[in-house]
Amino acid sequence: MNSEQTMNTNHIAIQVTNLHRAFGEIKAVQGVSFDVQPGEIFGLLGPNGAGKTTTISMLATLLRPDEGDAFVMGHSIRRDPMAVKSVLGVVPQEIALYEDLSARENLTFWGKMYGLRGARLRQRVNEVLELIGLSDRANGRVGTFSGGMKRRVNIGVALLHKPQVIYMDEPTAGIDPQSRRNILDSVVSLKNQGMTVLYTTHYMEEAQELCNHIAIMDHGRVIACGTHEELVRLVGEQTRIDLTLNVEAGRVLETWRAAEGVSRVSTENGQITVLVEDSNAVLPRLFEAATRLSARITSVDIREPNLEAVFLHLTGRALRD
Amino acid sequence: MKILDIAFKDMLRSFRSMFALVFMFGIPLLMTGMFYVMFGNIASSGFNLPKTKVIIANLDEGGPRFQVSAKNIPGGKQARTMGELVVNVLQSKEMADLIQVSLAPSAESAHAAVDGQAAQVAIVIPADFSKKFADPDKQAVIEFYQDPTLTIGPSIIRSILNRFMDGMAGVKIAINVFMDEAPESDYYLTGDIIQRYLDISLVQTEDLAGTLLDEQAPTATPPSSQTSGSSASHSQTSQNMLLRIVGPIMGGMMVFYAFFTGTSTAQSILKEEEERTLPRLFTTPTPQAVILTGKFLSVFLTVLVQVVVLLLAGRLIFRIQWGALMSVTLAAAGIILTASSFGIFINSMLKSTKQGGAVFGGVLTMTGMLGMISIFAMNSPSAARLGNTVSLLVPQGWAIRGLLQAMNGAPVVDVGLTTLVMLVLSAAFFVIGVWRFNKRYA
Repeated sequence: MNSEQTMNTNHIAIQVTNLHRAFGEIKAVQGVSFDVQPGEIFGLLGPNGAGKTTTISMLATLLRPDEGDAFVMGHSIRRDPMAVKSVLGVVPQEIALYEDLSARENLTFWGKMYGLRGARLRQRVNEVLELIGLSDRANGRVGTFSGGMKRRVNIGVALLHKPQVIYMDEPTAGIDPQSRRNILDSVVSLKNQGMTVLYTTHYMEEAQELCNHIAIMDHGRVIACGTHEELVRLVGEQTRIDLTLNVEAGRVLETWRAAEGVSRVSTENGQITVLVEDSNAVLPRLFEAATRLSARITSVDIREPNLEAVFLHLTGRALRD
Repeated sequence: MKILDIAFKDMLRSFRSMFALVFMFGIPLLMTGMFYVMFGNIASSGFNLPKTKVIIANLDEGGPRFQVSAKNIPGGKQARTMGELVVNVLQSKEMADLIQVSLAPSAESAHAAVDGQAAQVAIVIPADFSKKFADPDKQAVIEFYQDPTLTIGPSIIRSILNRFMDGMAGVKIAINVFMDEAPESDYYLTGDIIQRYLDISLVQTEDLAGTLLDEQAPTATPPSSQTSGSSASHSQTSQNMLLRIVGPIMGGMMVFYAFFTGTSTAQSILKEEEERTLPRLFTTPTPQAVILTGKFLSVFLTVLVQVVVLLLAGRLIFRIQWGALMSVTLAAAGIILTASSFGIFINSMLKSTKQGGAVFGGVLTMTGMLGMISIFAMNSPSAARLGNTVSLLVPQGWAIRGLLQAMNGAPVVDVGLTTLVMLVLSAAFFVIGVWRFNKRYA
């Protein structure tokens, strides 16, 4: 059975099958399944509390699943966690470094934990310092670094042993745009080097830009999975139009719902969202209907189909909620 | 190998922390230094305990005739009465470094000298002192009158007198036994018996001052250099007195702060959990047992470094004699093991480092102070017994007991037994702590 499972998963970097995990009464992950191909960036997208970190913690063998299993490079997270760890690099959501040690001391220590020693260790530490652009600050204490620099060291630690698979749990959370750009570039660079990246984020733009495949999670479940194009197709390639009115939306909404080319109308906090097939054709009708009801459109924002629209389509809520 | 990597990483972090260094080495040495300076002058080799002014009203009218040979009385004087013997002893050359004796014609004038602060202690030897000494049914008593605002000087005098009177009581018991057992025809020998037993007693307490001081100063340099009779120098005996005070204090400080270090170093497990480095360690191909063992080893090694440094610093800076190598090694091993395992145990009970503040402020201070009661009560015989018992309720008490045993030159077996108790305590703390941590991270 084991050998069959290993053989079946040999061509898949990460195979996740029906993972469950509860914390008391709270079911954090409920039957999550997906496959990650070698050398791709796979995104787990979802709002805070969707179950992304719990899923990644189970895949990193930090948490034991209540049910289900996953295979990382053919190794079961249940039966062979040590083998999983040896092929894995984990970039945790929080900065997990020793602030009173220098960047070099941190990398050296973590390198030893991944089994590196001697000249090989020194070489890899120097390479990683170069890679994360901190060679000139190698001997500076991490505690004195900016948030972006710490993030880079945080990623560097996971690269020391040249892992086949890297988990990155919201690595851009709370950092400045420039550092964020650097990190996104480095993720692409890792993919180009042949590494498999499992990337969790609640930033739709990041998933859209980076990921070959995306699993959208909500309330501990994968509610959609596929390429960006496949996911967008779920909402029928509809364009999203966000509008605001100078009056109560009531009757205007009724009229818009009935308008030709409108597939869905929803409202939240005074903002009306209309999903349409062709915004050029529908927008004049929306203006016309509003004018007829003595309402004035005070703002319009047209958005091409994206993951935000997919999430809205699937859950009726915005991704950032 | 990874165990050592983790341990050395933790030690590097500990020894880079100024706060930790201050607590590990700075405060124990500073506190000891304060006591050292308080009781002596560190800059000079001699410790000048001020002389205690004693005024003696010797009203003793004598009793059965006896003569103590000059060679057996410190100061080389002869004594015709028991009162005279007391005066001679207190006026001896060995006492001259500590006591300045003057004589008063009456009890009133002696009391008046103390009341007028012309003397710190008045000793009144009653007229029937020798008679009562010779009477098996009566008790010979000396009146001790002191300035109530003073402690150290009078307590030294009281200690010397007590010792002297204890010796004399032994003599009296010997006489009583003779009187009970010997036929009446031999009673004429009583004077000789008194003389003989006084000789023995005084020979045994030859160089009374030096002996007393030496016994009270176990932390001093080896006895052979102390008990050279009348050659005992003022600076040496003063130094003994200083070390008698400073040695146990330094030992107590070392134990107190070793437990702090054990607990604060073991707290790095919780700290790493909160800093998320511990979960990250668990994502590396390093077994949990190796990670926790490395953390525990760092606690042990950090306390080891602290204790060794403090022992050496105590020896080099304050010239404290910790005892025979084997004894002090056993005691130190006990301290290190108990302090580190106690730290692991305490931290395994905590949910977060936030709770650590209460533990540091409460549990460690309370148990540390309880453990040190034996040191505080050391100079008070009545309190010492209770203090020793109470202090053994906490592991710090056992650690201090072992150290004091080593310092007092107790047999290695005794120190070993105390260390054995500490080993048992350590094993219990360690097993519970490891079990709880393993359960926590399972």
